[in-house]
Formats: sequence, structure tokens, C-alpha cells
Amino acid sequence: MSQHRLNPATTRPGRRHKRGDVKPGRIVVYELCKDFGAVRAVDRLSFTVEPGMVTGFLGPNGAGKTTTLRALLGLVEPTSGTATIGGLRYAELTDPLRVVGAALESSSFHPARSGLAHLRIYCAVAGIPDQRAVEVLEFVGLGEVGHRKVRGYSLGMRQRLALAAALLGDPPVLILDEPANGLDPEGIAWLRALLRELAHEGRTVLVSSHALAEVEQTVDQVVIVHRGRLVRQAGLAELAQEHSATVRAGGPDPHALFRALAGTGAEIQWAGGRELRIRGIDAAMVGHLAHTARIELHELSTQRGDLEEVFLALISEGVPAATS
Amino acid sequence: MIGLVRAELRKLTATTLWWWMLLGSLALTGLFVSLSIAFSGSTGDLTPPLSTVAGQRDVLATASSPTALVGILGVVAMTAEFRHLTATPTFLATPRRGRVVAAKLITYTVVGFGFGLACLVLAIAIALPWLSAKAITVSLSAPGLSLTALGVLVVVTIYGPLGVGIGALVRNQVAAVVGLLVYLFVLDRVLTAIPALQPVTRYLPGPAGDALTGGTLPNFPLLPAWAGGLLLAGYALVLAALGARFTLRRDVT
Repeated sequence: MSQHRLNPATTRPGRRHKRGDVKPGRIVVYELCKDFGAVRAVDRLSFTVEPGMVTGFLGPNGAGKTTTLRALLGLVEPTSGTATIGGLRYAELTDPLRVVGAALESSSFHPARSGLAHLRIYCAVAGIPDQRAVEVLEFVGLGEVGHRKVRGYSLGMRQRLALAAALLGDPPVLILDEPANGLDPEGIAWLRALLRELAHEGRTVLVSSHALAEVEQTVDQVVIVHRGRLVRQAGLAELAQEHSATVRAGGPDPHALFRALAGTGAEIQWAGGRELRIRGIDAAMVGHLAHTARIELHELSTQRGDLEEVFLALISEGVPAATS
Repeated sequence: MIGLVRAELRKLTATTLWWWMLLGSLALTGLFVSLSIAFSGSTGDLTPPLSTVAGQRDVLATASSPTALVGILGVVAMTAEFRHLTATPTFLATPRRGRVVAAKLITYTVVGFGFGLACLVLAIAIALPWLSAKAITVSLSAPGLSLTALGVLVVVTIYGPLGVGIGALVRNQVAAVVGLLVYLFVLDRVLTAIPALQPVTRYLPGPAGDALTGGTLPNFPLLPAWAGGLLLAGYALVLAALGARFTLRRDVT
């Protein structure tokens, strides 16, 4: 297949996008809703995923992550709203395996087929040389078991095979649903490096996970969903900044310090002894206010909170009540 | 589409199912050809004598006995996608699901033809020496006989896509296979046995296949061979189209 098909948005610009500029490799989910019977799995979800970075798609189990990804990949028909890749719905992609590589679940293999046979099937569909199947198998570390039936693969090996299938068409967009499940620590480290590398090459990398800690070292952006709704889309650094920076300040007269800070709207807690724990303003501001009020400080430090706590706090705060 | 057909052939040959089915088909053909020759003319046998073209047609028609196995192969081709969840990668590679069904219809037409040809060759290889040992000369070019040979090929071929159609409509593998077998070996026989229903039951898949092979169903108003073939192919296409339109458009979760 010819190169110009690689980014379909360049050949068919402007179709069907509802928000934002159409850009090759940009994923736009817009007002997506999906009902399964009476259950609303995805509820007016909107977010954007940019190329050149790793985006974590986070939420507890049952938050609607997999349904959203399946809607994006044309496997599930949205009740309303759109999900596009480079401005096109998945079904409109002329050569999907060369545009989007997806690894959705570690169980969608015929148990009696070998890993290599599985990949060669999709080589035939997409007109990819068979040699590529061997290459990706070796790349994911399954080179020696490629001829073995998938029935005998461990969960980690199935995850690697799913990843190999996603990489088969060398696509600019990668969508991976819980790819770290079943991988050993070595495998997780390898996956992290791989995802970073793929993003560094300019690809769009969307990775779902139910635990922020799992992807914390990998992702640049997070899209957090809960009960089918968007809780937050932000850069990881921004999130850490906003939610978890706690300033510890202490001195001989904590009461005076408390009064000096009380007007700022910061959240102040007694940390015991002569220390305060302050959230909402940074250490520089605390220092400045103390100095202005001529309060003696013995300690002034910033504590980075655990991002996982931030994540849990965000999803336990819940989401705004339905507007409908 | 050529790539899709190649992919379907790779799916088929990646496991050993096709091999067992071929072996089973050849065994069935060998068995029924042998039985029909061995018991011809024995007391109570109503089939025409082997020395007549009609009798020889009956022998050759038994080469269509593996239709059920070819049908199962077609059913499995479609339903395995849902049973083993390979529908996900399949539809990711080919988002327009109708194209997947079309590729399977084409592939299993080819596969069915291969099975039909193998069984036909086996039937002839058994029948010719055996009959000549009974001092019966068989002319394969006799009009009725060559038509039956062609009919055997066509009917076995069409059961491939027919199975695909059934599988497309009934995604559940066990239900589709059991349904096919119950229809072929129970329903079809019971319904065609009721004389009053014959004006209707002649249009069922079973009798449509019999019309093609020209096998003897005493006192049954079979369709002309060409009509039987068209009707059977029509069943395959209609089932596949219904499956593609309704069943396969469901969400793959």
C-alpha cells in the first residue's frame, strides 16, 4: 500500500471532526455516549490525545475505558457522539493496520494457532510482507516461541503477542488496553521504554490502566474517567503540581503563622508540634507572607504527594451530577 | 479481497481441523460408495441395477455425502471468530464486516470445491474397478452420469458458503453446528417424508441438493438440477447477507 495512505487525514481533510483541528494522528473523542441496555457505560465523554506523547487513559475497573477504546476502534457502535483518529472514524480508514495498532485484550487468539500463524493472517489482510511477522515477534521477545500454539502461552506472552500484532503495520497511532497486565517487572520496564520510544518517534500512544502508579513513569498526559465521565484531562506534571504539593512550615509561633496565612484561602492543617501543613499556595508564598508578618520560620519545605493518592482522590470526589 | 481470501485460507490451514474434516469426508464417501455397490441388487433394495446409468448415478451421488462436514467447516470459519474472540483483530484489520463475510464465502466456495473434487475422484476410483470386476462397463461421459458428477461437485461446493451463512446468522458455534446437523439429519427427512408438504418441501436445502446429484428419492418431485443449484446458492447468500446485516453488526465487546 502506498505511503500517502499512512495518514488518511491528509488525503481526506476535514471530514467528520467535531472539535479541534484535524491533525494526523490526533485522537478526538467528542461527546461520546454508549448505552448497554439501561446502563450508560460512557457518558458524554470528550477528550483529545495528541501525537508525540504517551497519554494514560485512567479510571477504575468499569469506568468505561475499554468501551471507549472499542468505540474508537469501530468495534462498538456509539449511542451518540463521535470518536475519530486523524479526523476519520475507524471504519473510514482505508488501511487501518497501517494507521492504528491496537492491543485490546490478551485473550483474542485462536488457541490452536501459533503466534506466528496469528500474525501472518493479518499480514495477508493488510498486504504486509510475512517477514514483518517474524520481525515483530522477535522485537517483543517471542522469537523462539513463535511456532508454539498460543494455548501454551502465559498471560505475559499473550500480552507481548498482542503488542506484536499492534506493531505489525508500523502504525503512527497505538492504542493499548491495559498492556502491562500479566507482565513481570522486567517486562513492565521494557514496555515503559518502548512506549517512551514510540512517542519520541512522534507516534500517538494511548495506554489505558486502572492504576496511575502503573503508568506514572511512562505517561505525559492523563485522561481520567470515572463512571463513564471525564474527571480530568491534564499533563502529569500539572496534576502533581495542583493536587499534591504540600508545604510544611514550622517555627516558634505557629499560631501567628496560621493567622498570617488564613486570609489566602489556603487549606491549613496542624501537623502536630509547631508545624503546619499547607495546601493551595506554594512555599515561596508562605515564606513571603511569613517574612512580611515578621514571623520566624524554622522549617519551610515542599512535599510531593503520591500521585496515586491524587488519582484516588479525584475519582472518589466523583464527577459532577448529570446535566441531563 | 485477494488478501482477505488468503488470510481466510491461512486461518483454515493454521489448525488441523480441515485435515480431519477432509479425512472424514473421504472416509464417508468411501463407505457409502462401497455400501451402495455391495448391497445393490440384494433383496429389498429398490435402487436401479448397477448396469443401468440410473444405478451408476446413485453410486456416484453418494460422493456428496460429506456435505454436512463441509457445512460444519464453513460454520466454524465464521463462529470461531466469536468463540475465540478473534473477531476483535479480524474486524480491526477489516472494519467493514461485510467484506469479512464475503471473503469467507469465496474462500469456502474454493474449499468446498476442493473437498467435492477429492470425494468425486475417490468415488470414481472405487466404483470403476469394482464395477468392471462385475463386468459392468461404465461410460463417465454418459449424459446422466456426467451431470451427476457435476452435481456432486456443485452441491459439496455450495455447502461451504452455506455453512458460512449459517455461522454469520447464528454466531454461537455449538448452536450453529447442532442446528445444521439437526436440520440435515432430522428436520429435512421428517418434512420431506410428508407427502402433503412436498410442493413446499422440494424447495428446502436437502431436496435442492438431491436435485443436483439426481439421486433417487422415490416419488419425490425434485426440482430441475439447475434450479436446485441456484436455490442452494441462494440460501447461502441470503443467510450470509442476513447475518452481515443483523448479527454481525452487533457490538464486539
